[in-house]
Amino acid sequence: MKLKSSYDFYLILATALVLFAISLISIYGMFYFKFAQIQQMEPTLKIAYMDRMNQIVAPFIICLILLLGICVPKRLLPTVWLNRISAVILSCVVATGLVYGVKASLFFILAASLVLQTIVLLLALAGSRNLHFHKKGYWVRLGSSLIHLGLIIFILDLFFYANKTLHLILFWVTTGASILGMLFCFYAESVVIRVFGRQPVSKDNIT
Amino acid sequence: METGLPDLLPIQVFSQGGGVLLTALLVLSGFIAVSASVNLCSRKPVWQGASGVLLATINLLFIVGFLWICWFHWQIFTKLSLALPENLSGWVNRQLEIMNSNSDYGMPLYNPDAPPRYRIPFWIENEKYYFWFMCYAAMVLPVHFRLQAHRFRAVLHLFLAVQVATLFFLADPFIRPLPQFFSEISPFYRAGQSLMEQAGYFMRLYPKMIFYYNAHYMWFHPPLLFISYGSITIIFITSIFMLIKRDQATEKIGYGFAKLGFLMLTLGMLLGYPWALKAWGPNWWWDPKICSSLMMWAVFSTYLHTRLYANKQSMWYFTSFLGIICFLAMIFTFLTSFYFPGEHTFQ
Repeated sequence: MKLKSSYDFYLILATALVLFAISLISIYGMFYFKFAQIQQMEPTLKIAYMDRMNQIVAPFIICLILLLGICVPKRLLPTVWLNRISAVILSCVVATGLVYGVKASLFFILAASLVLQTIVLLLALAGSRNLHFHKKGYWVRLGSSLIHLGLIIFILDLFFYANKTLHLILFWVTTGASILGMLFCFYAESVVIRVFGRQPVSKDNIT
Repeated sequence: METGLPDLLPIQVFSQGGGVLLTALLVLSGFIAVSASVNLCSRKPVWQGASGVLLATINLLFIVGFLWICWFHWQIFTKLSLALPENLSGWVNRQLEIMNSNSDYGMPLYNPDAPPRYRIPFWIENEKYYFWFMCYAAMVLPVHFRLQAHRFRAVLHLFLAVQVATLFFLADPFIRPLPQFFSEISPFYRAGQSLMEQAGYFMRLYPKMIFYYNAHYMWFHPPLLFISYGSITIIFITSIFMLIKRDQATEKIGYGFAKLGFLMLTLGMLLGYPWALKAWGPNWWWDPKICSSLMMWAVFSTYLHTRLYANKQSMWYFTSFLGIICFLAMIFTFLTSFYFPGEHTFQ
């Protein structure tokens, strides 16, 4: 197995593990909600319950964000440079966290991921062959880039929860990017045929 | 129903027509269940052509029944309105203005020339099971003709038969249509009420009409989820067969429905978000149904990620295992509404 695909593979396994942990926390939250009878409590106690659950899930969301932070530059860089850049980004995250707090460091990594993912999207849009994707094919790459951009904006949007207008605008951007991305990614062949009336450039875009 | 609602609506006609349809569905499903059981035990395929015809007829009946439900909802729209006596509209509008001033999302004021009417979607109460199982039946039809494996077909058919039996014996949408809705609205139509009683019922019914029954999101959020539930059921069946045999054709069908299911699930969940903000305000996060939906989405997302490496033997089985977990997560998520309190509860 090549080192590159092994890197991808372990990143996916790590993502699966974090998602599994979030699933377990969700189940815990359900039973806690039922047995503590949260629905019958005062709004302040309900908010306290939500805050406590947020605190429990926060480390795993941070892990997810960090994985995303590594996942995004991997599209752009060879493995050696990826390790270096990941180390630099993680150092910056730790430094920002120590100086300005955890929230600022998360904001930093999300903003960095957003910039990098926008570059990935633009390169995918331009049909660059230098991007490192597990799958080949123009529409699959474009779709995958859009889905990841949507995910980054979604998490970033949580920072703007208090600002209702901006929060909802970003939410609809997220929804648009994710759904368009999935349509491209999952139905690449039929999209190409519908748009251009011919077969896709690469046959290996559908696995 | 103790009010004049039966006089306003053709409830009996709807129930009788629907009863005939559902009985026909049950009989056909019984035949397809027999055919499926024989095929499951047999080494060679039997009655494949007949089961295909039965399946197509079941789909046709499902569509007719769905149109019947649409017709009944149209009757509700045209014949039931929350009309108030003229001298109450001023008082009601003053109350609505006070409510709107304290809320981010206001309700339209009462217009005596066009009193509010119920635009009820076709997937509330028992009708949601009907729509869900109809989606599954529609998905089984192309799979039946794409994959020739008779045992795989048999399991698809057995699942369909179980769903129709569930509909007939436990969740009949025709025999007693929309019981919760009618029990909510029937006091409003009771004869001989005082003006203040009528105004009180209006103020109780109107917000639910705006934020639930007539909400635009109702037309997208639930049906997208039910389409994804149908897809996940097919993923479950393909995953079981993938555990038994490494067959690429079965995997391809499973992946096709995984793509559709994930797209529908994600879009459905996302569209629930602005609706929840509008209807419930900010304090619904970490509600049990939200937790279970998040869990299901995470499992589904993991399934799609691991599926990228399904060409490795260990990942093939792990992906299949996750497909089964995904189905169990879906059942768990659905049952959450019955056993856990919260905003989505059916308790």
